[in-house]
Amino acid sequence: MDSQNLAYAITQIVHNFGAVAVVGGAACALARSDAGTQRKLAGLVLVAWLTQAVSGAAFGAISFYYYAKFPDIHGVAVAALIVKVVCAVFGFTLAMWQLLARHSEVSRRYSWLALCGLGMLALGSAAVLRWFS
Amino acid sequence: MRNLSMLVLVLISFAVPLAMAAGENIDIISPVDGARLDSKAENKMDYNVTLGAAGGHVHLYVDGEEAALLRQAKGSYTFDHLAQGKHEICLKIVNKNHTPIGVERCIKVTVQ
Repeated sequence: MDSQNLAYAITQIVHNFGAVAVVGGAACALARSDAGTQRKLAGLVLVAWLTQAVSGAAFGAISFYYYAKFPDIHGVAVAALIVKVVCAVFGFTLAMWQLLARHSEVSRRYSWLALCGLGMLALGSAAVLRWFS
Repeated sequence: MRNLSMLVLVLISFAVPLAMAAGENIDIISPVDGARLDSKAENKMDYNVTLGAAGGHVHLYVDGEEAALLRQAKGSYTFDHLAQGKHEICLKIVNKNHTPIGVERCIKVTVQ
């Protein structure tokens, strides 16, 4: 096993678990109404979005390290990547807001719904990015 | 001491990027370099690629713009439309992360 494939594989593992956490954490929060659990889940989702951003950037960094070039993507793939980045920015911000701000039960629920939607949108974009590159 | 040697070896293996591709090759069978093509005809390219250990698939470029992604190592690609004039057609082997690994073949054609 060469170090390049190992680096990509480890990054992919981290990225996959991050994807599970952003969607799963938000979905669990929608099913649990107690404040303590929701706070823990907000922390998990916050870390998960950060993980997604860092591991996503790591894919490009690994390419640059080995070939001094970034992945060569065009058209639909670039659009999908932009959607993923936007999802990560909004997801991180919303999770931070969920964790730190005091808000009503209704706004909290809408916030979790939005986080769940952002996670699913990012997952869908990942599939497009994978196959339209 | 032995453990230290192993540690040094592991660190070196991570510190030195894979600079050289091994076993990869691109052969553009047709058109040949410098060929003249008919703009009214169906123009296609026949190719044969050896992806090697580092290669995942092939990107096709026309005048520097990515035109197609080729997943078959051997086959042909029909151009949608090649405008009249000179064009550069390139094939690049990329890894599974779509990064060019440094193996490419380019030809120049003139469409009349």
